[in-house]
Amino acid sequence: MGKDKLIPILALIIIGIGVSSSVYVYATHIEKSTITINDHEYTLDEIFYLANSKTVNTSEGIKTGVSLDNLLLKIGIKCPSCNEYTIKAADGYQKTVTWEMIQDGILTKEPRVYFPSYPRSFWVSDVIEIEIKEV
Amino acid sequence: MEDKMRFLTGMILFGSLWGFSETIIGSRLSDAGLPSGIIMTGFFAIMLLVLSRIIYKAPGMQFGMGLIAGTLRVFNPCVGCHLCSALAIMAEGVLFELIWYRLSFDDALLKKTINQVSMGVITSYIIFVGGYIVTQILTPMISGPGFYLENLIVFLPRILSSGLPTAIIGGLVLPATYKLSKLNIEVKDRLYYPAALSISMICWVLVIVNWLILVS
Repeated sequence: MGKDKLIPILALIIIGIGVSSSVYVYATHIEKSTITINDHEYTLDEIFYLANSKTVNTSEGIKTGVSLDNLLLKIGIKCPSCNEYTIKAADGYQKTVTWEMIQDGILTKEPRVYFPSYPRSFWVSDVIEIEIKEV
Repeated sequence: MEDKMRFLTGMILFGSLWGFSETIIGSRLSDAGLPSGIIMTGFFAIMLLVLSRIIYKAPGMQFGMGLIAGTLRVFNPCVGCHLCSALAIMAEGVLFELIWYRLSFDDALLKKTINQVSMGVITSYIIFVGGYIVTQILTPMISGPGFYLENLIVFLPRILSSGLPTAIIGGLVLPATYKLSKLNIEVKDRLYYPAALSISMICWVLVIVNWLILVS
């Protein structure tokens, strides 16, 4: 097959991949009003009642939320530095962080996590779960 | 020797324009809540990469442009992710080279509008998705606890879907860029070198001044 025919076919395949993944993303988007932490469901009100508030200065301005390390200690995590924490978003985005990073972070009411000392790609938006895995 | 000088000057000019647009325009678009990555790749990157490829017909130039644009991107005050964004831009340059390998000498192929649109779709989608994946791998490796493959795999459908608007923009921008490249504007050497180097220098000065203002 010549390039003349191959190039439009490849473009159509790419459009097909883009459309089908968009449909998949839309179909698997999770709508939740609670956040799962270590297999337990918490409402934002419960989270903000449980943990201490903290204000941090980020490249997007000053943000206030609950201190992530304090939240995890309050819900009874044993040996926090022995675990890894995967923060998951409604759209499938997720980032795995260490206890050292957790100590830098906050969870806001949006709900979004901010780690002011780390790149924005770790600032997961629309958080639905914090999974805790022993290392 | 003359050809090499033209090649290098063109690479510096187009690389600086790309880096300037990524750093200054991209940041403004992002601050305005617009999808800067999609617009930057679909419009600016494709236009500059394709225009330089058609004008100079020199494979390797776009890789060099990526290196220059990536270096300029380092001067963007975005906490902790300077290097990763810069590497993503450099990756876009490499991916463009791979897609356009030998094509720059096959001008007949791009004479048909359908091929121009198709190449715009293919190029913009692959360089956007490729750059996105490179960032997802390198950012946690360089500035975090390390790369986790599972985090990338679960997010892959989202990355693949986010490339669709870029592909559509690229499909429209490439034919327009092709027409622009055929305007046949001739610039004499005594004007070409000073003009190209002055524009490049202005790009660098503006980016560095912007960086100094934001960090001070």
